[in-house]
Amino acid sequence: MGTAPEIANQRIVEALVSKLRRRQVVGSRQTAIETVLVLRQVISKARFSNIEHLIQIIKAVGRRLVQAQPKEHTVGNTVRKVLHHVREEYHAVSRAGPSSAQPPKSSFSISKFVSQGQPRKQNLTLPKSEARSTSLRENDPDDPDSFAKGLKPVLMEAIQDVLDELETVYDNVSKSARDHIHSDEIVLTIGHSKTVESFLKSASHYRNYTVIVAESAPSFGGHKMARSLSTAGISTFLVPDSSIYALMSRVNKCILGAHAILANGGMFAVTGSLLAVSAAQAHSTPVVVCAGQFKLTPLWNLYHEYGALDFADPSSVLGFEEGSLVDKVDVVNPYFDYVGPELINVYITNDGDHPPSSVYRLIKESYDDEDHEL
Amino acid sequence: MPVASAVGIHHPAQTLKSSSALPATILEDPSRSLSQESFDVYASYQRILENEEIATPLAAILALTELIEHSKAGTMFELVKELHDAAEILKRRTTNAISLNAGTELFIAFVTLFPHESDSFADLKTELVKQGQKYAAEALTYRSKISELALDFIKDDSVILTHSYSRVVMQTLLRAHKQKRISVYVTEARPRGLGVKTYEALTAAGIPCTMVLDSAVAYVMDMVDFILVGSEAVVESGGLINAVGSNQIAIIAKAAKKPFYALAESYKFHRLFPLSQYDLPTHTDDILSFPRHAQRPSPALTARPSVAPSTSSNPLVSGHLPIGRSKSSTSSSQLAMTPEQILRNPKVDYTMPDLISLVFSDVGILTPEGVSQYLVGMFAG
Repeated sequence: MGTAPEIANQRIVEALVSKLRRRQVVGSRQTAIETVLVLRQVISKARFSNIEHLIQIIKAVGRRLVQAQPKEHTVGNTVRKVLHHVREEYHAVSRAGPSSAQPPKSSFSISKFVSQGQPRKQNLTLPKSEARSTSLRENDPDDPDSFAKGLKPVLMEAIQDVLDELETVYDNVSKSARDHIHSDEIVLTIGHSKTVESFLKSASHYRNYTVIVAESAPSFGGHKMARSLSTAGISTFLVPDSSIYALMSRVNKCILGAHAILANGGMFAVTGSLLAVSAAQAHSTPVVVCAGQFKLTPLWNLYHEYGALDFADPSSVLGFEEGSLVDKVDVVNPYFDYVGPELINVYITNDGDHPPSSVYRLIKESYDDEDHEL
Repeated sequence: MPVASAVGIHHPAQTLKSSSALPATILEDPSRSLSQESFDVYASYQRILENEEIATPLAAILALTELIEHSKAGTMFELVKELHDAAEILKRRTTNAISLNAGTELFIAFVTLFPHESDSFADLKTELVKQGQKYAAEALTYRSKISELALDFIKDDSVILTHSYSRVVMQTLLRAHKQKRISVYVTEARPRGLGVKTYEALTAAGIPCTMVLDSAVAYVMDMVDFILVGSEAVVESGGLINAVGSNQIAIIAKAAKKPFYALAESYKFHRLFPLSQYDLPTHTDDILSFPRHAQRPSPALTARPSVAPSTSSNPLVSGHLPIGRSKSSTSSSQLAMTPEQILRNPKVDYTMPDLISLVFSDVGILTPEGVSQYLVGMFAG
């Protein structure tokens, strides 16, 4: 099938795929935004006559994107979120239409009864389609595009919602910053997380406090963070990773960023986080993680698969100049650590604060079960 | 030794008749007259249980479904009352009623909350019967769903420890064996010795398997990668009720920092909230009580040579617990508890949720906290 919209679709998708593969897109939020934009293009140009077809299209695109960069979990998360919104809008429209005259019988069964027990998000924001009463006819042989035409505007608005949520992540996470940090506190952080950066900067408008930044070798993201925080007027200390434990007794709380939040409440975070969190546990220091909800991943940590972690260039650990050693030594430079749920106290997300034990509930609310495997 | 169902513990004295127990054939069995005066729900329950695939809660649901078929109730109230009475009968006549309760409560809650759109009560009854049978047929697929979910957590060269005999664990291990290399330690699980059944089934499938004394679990724990157990019931706190010994294994696993996974089908979710072992409905004052007055050991109570049910090919079987002096000391006899002493020991125990890493169920992979969410949703309307 080589119709014009599909070729254009493929071009857009391939562009993002190659960017992902070459790691030209940097940062989880940026990746998520680009994914949403691509999906928006795909959906607006897609031709489909029933909802299943549309979902298949989106899933196919999602699979290609995830395969391009499997370690960047936000890609898959965004696709799942879009699918969830698509289904929601579709159900709302088909409920409002004349087809709702038939009672939803025979879908009731004991197994549904059991699985109803899972939480459904209380929809405080009504799906847009409740405002209209358009009737959607699926698989209409006379006018195959009517279904698509009726549904697309509604879907575009839903996707715009997702985009808005992504763009306001930093602001929403920082909203409660001043309640979490008190005056004259000493806060520890690692590496450079933009979410944590905006959180700390927002708190600095109201409070005077100190930040200790661990430099997180060998990527040295901590240097950028320290520079940015001190330009914002926060008193900052930059320390090497080895002194994290030594300083922990003076620290009031640890504020870390996350790369991905897993279904059991654990997280992948930049290397050094496990070190900081273990030190915090030894000193009974609270650990707070700031992350947007787009980082929630419905995957379980198969952490015993060492390959689940991402690896960066080993020459920054042991350079190739050390010629005689390079043969005899295996050098790895893991980029992420897995931190278990029992080590984290709370996740501050753009949708409120949650303990690790209720992460599974957030995942059930944001994503549909059938999308866990794209 | 009569055929026993997975982890459900039934009194060895129950005799099971033989007949088929597939849901479809129950309806067409001509030998049962529909105008029986009193429908023997217990007899039908036992008959259904003869099918090895059907677990106790499912059998209870099917038995109650049959009751509805035979019921002459004219209103919902009467029907629900009949169901409650039948559940009581089943409960009284089984020694271990926990998983049975899970099934009956689920079904009765479903019946009570079922939306009635039918024109007549007879229609409603037929609809309920259909639903019950449909559920039972679907529920037989749950074990394979669970084994698929658990497959990702089993990696190559895993060493797995399991307890006693559980159908869902068997299915998972056999499924994993198709793609990965696994080795299994299985505990003997006295006094019923069901671990031997697991051992034989796994060895027959070609999985390297070794039996472990119940008392040697701590010894073997460092060699194990993770623990996989089935369940009688998963309770509201997120804890697990399973054959006695599971709690012990979970505590040792926690101390050795090994993951402890429980596999449970969703019909085993039960609305109990035990705060300790002694809160379980199976706990009576007799269990592990001291004798009322010091008595001279009578011939019946002294340790006798072991009467273990296992095959003689297994040298690791037969515990060793002398109370009183052995009267016969032939060179080949081993000391063992008398049946009366065994009776005074518990059959199931309760494992606290903080010892359990994950619960694998057909509704998904749940943390122990997630289980209560389902239960509240089910029973709180």
